[in-house]
Amino acid sequence: MIRHQLRLAAAAAACLVLAACSQPADMGPPEVDVPTPLPSGINFSPEIETEPVDESCSPLASYNPGAATAEQAKAQLDNQDQISIGVSQSTNLMGYIDPATNVPSGFDIDIATAVAHSILGPDATIRWVPMTSGEREGAVNDDRVDMVVRTMTMNCKRWANVEFSAEYFHAGQRLLVPKASGIESLADLADDHLVCTGDGSTSVRTIAEQSEAQAVTVPDFNDCLILLQQGTVDAITSDDTILAGMAVQDPTLHVVGEAFSQEPYGIAFQKGNTDLARYVNKALAEIIANGTWQTAYDKWLKGPLGVAGAPPSPQYRD
Amino acid sequence: MLAALRFTPGQLRGVLAVVGALILGAGITGMTAILAKSAVIEETTSQSGRLSVAALSLYQALSQADATAASSYLTAGTPSDEMNETYREAMRDATVALATAAGEVKTPADTALVAELNARMPVYTGLVETARTFNRLGEPVGATYQEQASTLMREEMLPKAHDLQENSLGQLNESRSDAAAFPWAAAALAAAALGTLVWAQMWLSRKTNRVFNLGLVGSTVLLVAFAGWLAMASLASASHTNRSHEDGSAPLELLAQAEITAQQARAEESLLLIARGEDAKAAERFEEHFKALADPGKLLDKLDEVFAGDPELSKNIDTAREAAETWRAGHDEVVKLAQGGQYTDAVALVVGESDTSLWASFTTLNDALTEATDISADRFAEATNDAQRSLSGAAAGLAALALGALISAAVGIQLRVAEYYA
Repeated sequence: MIRHQLRLAAAAAACLVLAACSQPADMGPPEVDVPTPLPSGINFSPEIETEPVDESCSPLASYNPGAATAEQAKAQLDNQDQISIGVSQSTNLMGYIDPATNVPSGFDIDIATAVAHSILGPDATIRWVPMTSGEREGAVNDDRVDMVVRTMTMNCKRWANVEFSAEYFHAGQRLLVPKASGIESLADLADDHLVCTGDGSTSVRTIAEQSEAQAVTVPDFNDCLILLQQGTVDAITSDDTILAGMAVQDPTLHVVGEAFSQEPYGIAFQKGNTDLARYVNKALAEIIANGTWQTAYDKWLKGPLGVAGAPPSPQYRD
Repeated sequence: MLAALRFTPGQLRGVLAVVGALILGAGITGMTAILAKSAVIEETTSQSGRLSVAALSLYQALSQADATAASSYLTAGTPSDEMNETYREAMRDATVALATAAGEVKTPADTALVAELNARMPVYTGLVETARTFNRLGEPVGATYQEQASTLMREEMLPKAHDLQENSLGQLNESRSDAAAFPWAAAALAAAALGTLVWAQMWLSRKTNRVFNLGLVGSTVLLVAFAGWLAMASLASASHTNRSHEDGSAPLELLAQAEITAQQARAEESLLLIARGEDAKAAERFEEHFKALADPGKLLDKLDEVFAGDPELSKNIDTAREAAETWRAGHDEVVKLAQGGQYTDAVALVVGESDTSLWASFTTLNDALTEATDISADRFAEATNDAQRSLSGAAAGLAALALGALISAAVGIQLRVAEYYA
């Protein structure tokens, strides 16, 4: 009995010396990584397109309205009694579902509504068809919608697949950063800065070509705002309209620098449907002339973008 | 020593030694086998039993929390009291289950799973609360927070909870087959002791010309009783343990799986609208979960099969199936509305308070499964109690019988030996 106790005491002493055996390997606290919530599909090293940009056309030149009439435009609708318009439901200030009312709202929505009223009259039945940016070209060409009003940049690549109206808003790519970050422009971005943007957008290429920063892409650009708020990325780059929509939701963020790309927004129609494009150009000219454009701009974008803003002047090819 | 065996008294003592050793062996192994069985059953209902119960209720509670958080986001920051209550209860159940599991885990792998889940709980609730706050403020970024919360739940937390549940069920099944095993060693020793006793009596009656030795007869009777009790107690407890598995825990697992699958489908349905068309995969995931629940041969069909002979339980499954069909039809309508831009109508159909909303059919489905779970859980508890009752007193009884047989044999033989010295 006494011998047994002695042995125990010796073991205890050995334990103190070794320290490790007071905590056998498999009984120690488990190692757990710090949980960092990330959106699914995030890509920290996206491939950057290198194919030369198609500059064979003048993207701003649309069709001259001439003597186009609302009747001609109406005849082009898939359904004579209503107009189907492809929009975003998730781009704050431009086209989004107002969380308080669940109603589509924003600058794009106001412009689209004015165009619809011009074609079908003030009692027009408008069918809003939500879509992602990747669905836009298919939607007009497969007759899912009559037109798309969804922060869509006019460029030669897209002109090959759809018809565009004249430019209805001139946006440009900029940066959204925390006010405390000290980043004032593209030049302040170093190679250890992570800049978030939506995948499949032209912003990825622009930021990669014009700055040192590492691009990070997410399937839905809205995820960028969370990642910036959580400190996972250092900046967001996208069209200033989209960035403004994020900045208004968080007073600690601001949009900085000069625009480093040209993003003329146009309304898209089915390829070949120039009749509708011509009449919509007429409608756009009216909307600009009668102050509807300015009212919509003042309501949604004037404050967030911080500039008075003026409607673009239309360019026609014929 | 060997010389002593040449004379009858020595031979008698030798027989007694052999018989005594065999009876003692049978008694001790029988008793320990029963005690071990009892301990295993105790463990099945407590230790790993509780781990598997905790793991399952953790998995269920997490699915429920996510489905409710996503649904209530759609109410534009003003969820009903019922939704609020459901979410809070689900989070309480999840944390309680996690704490219980933490106290029950026995392997490093399980400890790591519990720790990883624990580390994610506050992150998840943080995201949900941020989503709610932005939602109340009318800021659309709330939707992205809610999506991220659901992504964390779907891609990290639910799979871990599922792993923990699988591990605990594996441990439970191991204990269960141990508990159901027959005590072969004790049975063999008892049979050998009986054989020796019978042979000794025949040998003795030839030697002494007396037909019966009362002591040895008594010992034989006691030993037969011992063997009978041992066999009966073992078989009865094995059958109860199996019954508790078939009637209780197997359907319980199936029911829980159905409930969890329904919760996940519900969460995806809400996400479809929360993502405002930006998450095409949500629709795919809804289909996946719903098919796993209601397609022919899947969970609801399996439950139908298991409960075929039980009107009380199959009634609940019928209710669940009806609700699932209403839900399915309504879901297709929601998709159509959402694609057609009738967002408000789609949301009203998904989370509205009317009896025709999908919230109503989902709740009916969920309640039916919960009721079936309660009934099944009672049966499980009953069966494990029966298994334990069939063992109660067996250990002490077997020990007493073996001791009695030993004494009786000793007395019987000792009396004969004494005759030689009289």
